[in-house]
Amino acid sequence: MKRLLPILVFAAALALMQWASGLPLTMLPLMTLAGFVVTVTLARLVRWQGLVFRIRPGSRSYSALLFALFVRHFAGILGAETRRVLIARRLATPRTWKPGRARSLLFALAALFGRALTRAERFYAAQSLRGMTD
Amino acid sequence: MTPVLEVENLSFAYERRAPVLAGISFTVYAGECVGILGANGAGKSTLLWCLLGLLKNQGTARWFPRAPARNALRRIGVVFQNPEDHLFMPTVLEDVALGLINRGCQPAAAREQALVALGQAGLGEAAARPASQLSLGERKRAAIAAAPATSPEMLVLDEPTAELDPRSVRQLAAVLADLPVARLIASHDREFLGKLCSRLLVLGEGRLMAEGTAARILGDAGLLERAGLI
Repeated sequence: MKRLLPILVFAAALALMQWASGLPLTMLPLMTLAGFVVTVTLARLVRWQGLVFRIRPGSRSYSALLFALFVRHFAGILGAETRRVLIARRLATPRTWKPGRARSLLFALAALFGRALTRAERFYAAQSLRGMTD
Repeated sequence: MTPVLEVENLSFAYERRAPVLAGISFTVYAGECVGILGANGAGKSTLLWCLLGLLKNQGTARWFPRAPARNALRRIGVVFQNPEDHLFMPTVLEDVALGLINRGCQPAAAREQALVALGQAGLGEAAARPASQLSLGERKRAAIAAAPATSPEMLVLDEPTAELDPRSVRQLAAVLADLPVARLIASHDREFLGKLCSRLLVLGEGRLMAEGTAARILGDAGLLERAGLI
């Protein structure tokens, strides 16, 4: 349930934005939740180890495998960066409610985008130099 | 001596900002180990990114000028500061093998070669583990093992000793010292570069402040002081 919390918040935010802008509520938030649950379940069922040796290089399955592993790796990086940012914020802000508390959360989450972009850029550079984009 | 990299008057500036690199010129020859020594923010990583074509710079950087090829970067092994930029497969063995498979090696042969490369890096027992379960030192060695596995003619390393403990640094130096290819290593670690490199380039405020043998450069306290290295 704890792992589901960020995606629940995301789906709720989606629904809230639709409602706030006067649009009819769509199935998008529910589909987001369903997509997350299906992806996580499939990712747990697949035996990833050694798969790259059993799939023909250059085939569609090979590209799909690498894409899935990219996503898995980057989700891990994003999770770790989020934890770091939120821990740093918790250590730097007062525990009692003050206006700065909300603002610091906004800054922390905004900083996350910059960090994620930098990591993505370096990851892409490293993989392209390893022949991934040939 | 055969040059493997010729850099002439290389300059770089981020948009609407002061130049990060200005007028950098040097040559790296086959088989030699060259260190780029500089304090934090001196422009070492930016220089490597320019050399690898990841940033658009002014001036020229010619890889393998005697035998130019369309895709020269395929002949280079690169290891960035953060090993997580390299290792993303379910096991370290697959991470090392992937570079070989991407360059046309059959999966079974790639697996064998990767096992050998990991063994040479002292990581034979860690082959079946994911990179996330290894120490930072082991991950760095795995990333470095992945680079020479593809038999590059040159290795480029960015801050290989960053965040490593002394033992891991020694193990890393032993792995790098045995490699027969040209190596270009950017670092602020004077001791590490002094042990490994025959020649050092000192980078400071985006300029090449000095170039010479490791002994001469590291013995010049005034130069090191000006470069912010002591």
